[in-house]
Amino acid sequence: MRRGVGIGGINQQLLEKAKFSEKGSELARDHLEKLAKQFETFRDNLEKFAEKHRNEIKKDLKFRQQFQDMCATVGVDPLASSKGFWSQVLGVGDFYYELAVQIVEVCVATSAQNGGLISLDELLLRVRKARGKSKSAQDVSTDDILRAIKKLRALGDGFAVIEPTNGQGRILIQCIPGELSMDHTAILNSLQTRSSFTKEQLRDQLKWSDERIEAAIDFMVKEGLVWIDNNGRYTEYYFPGLFTAQRVTNGESV
Amino acid sequence: MAATKISDISWHHDFPPFFTLQPNLDTRRKQLDAWCSLVLDYCRLKKVCTFDVNDASKFPPFFNAKINRQLDNNFIQVLLEELRSRGNIEWEDKHKRRCLVLWKSPEEWAKTIYQWITAHGMNGTVCTFYELLHGDDTRSAEFHNIDPHLFRRVLMELEKRGQATVFSDNGADGVKFS
Repeated sequence: MRRGVGIGGINQQLLEKAKFSEKGSELARDHLEKLAKQFETFRDNLEKFAEKHRNEIKKDLKFRQQFQDMCATVGVDPLASSKGFWSQVLGVGDFYYELAVQIVEVCVATSAQNGGLISLDELLLRVRKARGKSKSAQDVSTDDILRAIKKLRALGDGFAVIEPTNGQGRILIQCIPGELSMDHTAILNSLQTRSSFTKEQLRDQLKWSDERIEAAIDFMVKEGLVWIDNNGRYTEYYFPGLFTAQRVTNGESV
Repeated sequence: MAATKISDISWHHDFPPFFTLQPNLDTRRKQLDAWCSLVLDYCRLKKVCTFDVNDASKFPPFFNAKINRQLDNNFIQVLLEELRSRGNIEWEDKHKRRCLVLWKSPEEWAKTIYQWITAHGMNGTVCTFYELLHGDDTRSAEFHNIDPHLFRRVLMELEKRGQATVFSDNGADGVKFS
C-alpha cells in the first residue's frame, strides 16, 4: 500500500478522519434513536403492566416498592402529577394522597406530646393503627411513608425528613412550621440512638462555645421540643418524640 | 389486683423530665395534664379515694425507682392545686393535708349509688354504712369498699337532693334512701 506522503497524503488523511467522525456521529445518532425507541416501548409496556396490576400495586407492599423502583430506573414518576396518566387512569396516586392525609393527622395529634418531632418507626406504627385492621390497610412500609411525605413537601416547609448523617441512628420526621437551624439538626444527629443530651456532651462532641449551646437549647425549650430533667447528676435535655421512639423499638407502650 | 406497672398507664412515668417542673409554660401545661390523668387513672384502678400529703413520698405514682426520680414537695403542691382547680380533689382540712380524690365527681357517685339502691329495691330501708360499704350484698357494686369519708361526702350530695337521710344511732352510722 502506498503511504500518503506530502501535501496530497496529508489531505487524504484529513479527509479520512472527517469521514470517520461523520460515520461515528451517525452511529451514535442511530444508537440514541434506538435507545429512545426502546425506552418508549418500555414505557408503553410499563403503563400496560401498571394498568393490569393496578390492584396489586395498591394493595401489595413489596409489589408496590418494586414497581416504584422500576419506574425510577426509566425516569417515570407515577406520582409526578395529579392530572397525569398515572394517577388518573391507575389511581396509584390515591394511595399516597390517602397516606399523606393520615400522616398529617398523626403528626398533628402527637405534636402536643412530642413538639412535632417523631421517628419514622413510631409514625409508621401510628399510621397503621389509624388505617384499620385489614391486611391491605396494614401493608404500608416506611418507604411508602417517605414517598408520601415527599408529596407533602410540595405544600410548603411544614414537613422535613431528618436523616442521620453517618447512616447510624434513626430517621426523624419533623412537622413543625418553620425550619430547624443547622445547629438544631446537628444536635439531633449527634444523639444517634439516645433521646437526651447534656451541655457537656455537646461541648465534647460538637466543640461549640457555651453561648452557641445555650442559644440552641433556649430555642428548643421555647419551642417545646425538649423537656428538662433537673433531678439527675447533670441537667439533661430530652426529646419526648425520641423517647417514645425508643419505647416503640423496645415494644413498650406509648 | 394484679400488680399494674404505672408506666403502662402512661409512658410519661418512665420519662425522667416528667419529674421536673417544666419552665416552658406550654410544656408545663402538657406535663400537668399528663400528671392529672396519671394520678386519676391510678386511683381509679386501685380504688384510691383519699390522699394524705404526709404520705406523699409513699404514693406510688410520685416516684419511679427504675429511673431514680421522684416529685419534690413543691411539685406535689403545684399538682394538688391543679387537681383541686379541676374539681378532682377536695381538701378535708384547713391545713390542706388530707383530701378526697374524685376520679368520679360527687354528683356521678351519687347517681351510681342511688341507681344501685333503686335497682335492688332498697328505697325506704335503713342500711348501715358498714353493710353498704363492706357487706356481701354490695360486693359487685362500684362503691364497695370505697373510703367512708368519700361515702359520707356522696351521701351529703344525696341528702341535698332529698334522696337520702343520714343518721347516727349509738355510734353506728346509717342511711335511709327515699
